[in-house]
Amino acid sequence: METLLIGLLLALLALFGAPLFAIIGAVALLAFGSAGIDSSAVMVELYRIAINPTLVAIPLFTFAGYVMAESKTPVRLVNLARSIFGTIPGGLAVVALVTCAIFTAFTGASGVTIVALGGLLFPILVKENYPEKFSLGLITTSGSLGLLFPPSLPLILYALVANISVDKLFAAGIIPGILLVVALALYGIREGKRAAVPTTPFVWMNVRSAVRAAAWEIPLPVVVIGGIYSGLFTATEAAAVTAFYVLVVEVFVYRDLSLFRDIPRIMRDSMVLVGAILMILGCAMGLTNYLVDDEVPMKLFEFTKTFIDSPTVFLIVLNIFLIIVGMMMDIFSAIIVVVPLIIPIAKAYSIDPVHLGIIFLTNLEIGYLTPPVGLNLFISSIRFGKPVFTVVRATLPYIGILLVALIVITYVPGLSLWLVNLLGVR
Amino acid sequence: MTFVRSLDRLLIKIESAFLVLFLGTMIVLAFTQVVLRNLFDTGFLWGDTLVRHLVLWAGFTGAAIATSEERHISIDALTKFISPRVKSVVQILTNLFAVIVCCLLAQAALTFLSAEKEAGGSLILSVPSWIGLIVIAPGYSLMALHFVLKVIEDAMKMSGASGEAL
Repeated sequence: METLLIGLLLALLALFGAPLFAIIGAVALLAFGSAGIDSSAVMVELYRIAINPTLVAIPLFTFAGYVMAESKTPVRLVNLARSIFGTIPGGLAVVALVTCAIFTAFTGASGVTIVALGGLLFPILVKENYPEKFSLGLITTSGSLGLLFPPSLPLILYALVANISVDKLFAAGIIPGILLVVALALYGIREGKRAAVPTTPFVWMNVRSAVRAAAWEIPLPVVVIGGIYSGLFTATEAAAVTAFYVLVVEVFVYRDLSLFRDIPRIMRDSMVLVGAILMILGCAMGLTNYLVDDEVPMKLFEFTKTFIDSPTVFLIVLNIFLIIVGMMMDIFSAIIVVVPLIIPIAKAYSIDPVHLGIIFLTNLEIGYLTPPVGLNLFISSIRFGKPVFTVVRATLPYIGILLVALIVITYVPGLSLWLVNLLGVR
Repeated sequence: MTFVRSLDRLLIKIESAFLVLFLGTMIVLAFTQVVLRNLFDTGFLWGDTLVRHLVLWAGFTGAAIATSEERHISIDALTKFISPRVKSVVQILTNLFAVIVCCLLAQAALTFLSAEKEAGGSLILSVPSWIGLIVIAPGYSLMALHFVLKVIEDAMKMSGASGEAL
């Protein structure tokens, strides 16, 4: 009875906007307290996760992403993609999808993409006669599209929480990520044809000048992805190289940003996000540890087993559950809180934890677009001055496509695991 | 109100300076380690340990700023549906709740710190292991302080508003 009351009170506080780390921290403190374990147990877990070598990748990649978002990288990226894809019908839609996906991979799906790239692409799309509703939906959807590609923040966080290798997850995300981009691109091309939008003729000169303009940024994905897959360096080392390289290139080569005027502000902005994530991560790891010790995941499994006996059915239920989670929670908290509980259950149904990670993140990617708290809907609504309801309606066809892709990703584990095995990533 | 505001501003300025120091060191040192390791097969023995702890320090400093700027992650599904007046009452309550939790967490961190001190052991070279933990308790205390300042500011705003109404 008392537990129920406290639970209700905490839920109410959470729904009225209390910081999630405080809620989780309170639950962890209460749980340990009731078990007669000293509260410092929470801190042991916080410290253990905080000095995990993989965690270093998070601030470094986040900083690099924020620097790129504030510089003129988005303009150069769009120009480059336009010079290549502009010639196909609906090419600009493809440009939007590809550039947003690459950009999101680096900025970690924190909503930066819609602000930095969407603000650039949306007016161009409308000017080139793409229907407004189509364009709005496209940009809103693209805002979280790249999060299956390395080195996205959610991938790193999942690996950290699930205690699996980041490099493995980086390899696993590539093909499912491409599937999502291609599926949406085909729709974009179809709609582009229907609206009879103009195409830009393919001119070698344009490609050359766009390549030259972005010459310092083009090597970045190659270095990061190639470096990790070839085993030359780890995700953490790639993060160190990226952060340093991006800082030098944007400040001293392109001179888009001033070292003293802009960089301290960007450092602050990016670390606010990292701090917010770290606070939740720290408290939640203590709680998770308690729950695992208490065999809560196994009890949940015993419970689900009475209803669900096949992995296939489990995956259907899991997808529905995760979409609901994605509707209610932001991606970072969802990963931190839900993953530790799901992994042991999924393992019991013999689902590969790497494959599970990709399913998980694809679900949460869709969660960015679903009301009531889908982050992209609100960012789009604010950025483009449209009512949230209009944005929701505009994204519906895209959600449909993503759901179909999700089913494919869920039931064809090979999409996620083939590249991992091929590359022999450990 | 101006005093509370300017105290918060001052804290933010100091925290920002530390944050730039932490993150700047982290970026340069992490990169140097990669270069030394991959090109010269060497590196600072303490380098990786320091980088990892800098994450903890930068994270707590960032979290303190997040508190002041109300950028902590929250679910916040219901505040859209209540009036501004009720909202400020609710905000005072949720922030007070956060103050309590932060204080309890800070206390837990202190317990952990003294236990670690007693146990001895070293972090790296001759640096004792408890040094690694020293940022946690002050970090939570700093957040508690920012939350308290928020509560005072909201309370003063409310009493000011009702004063005008009278």
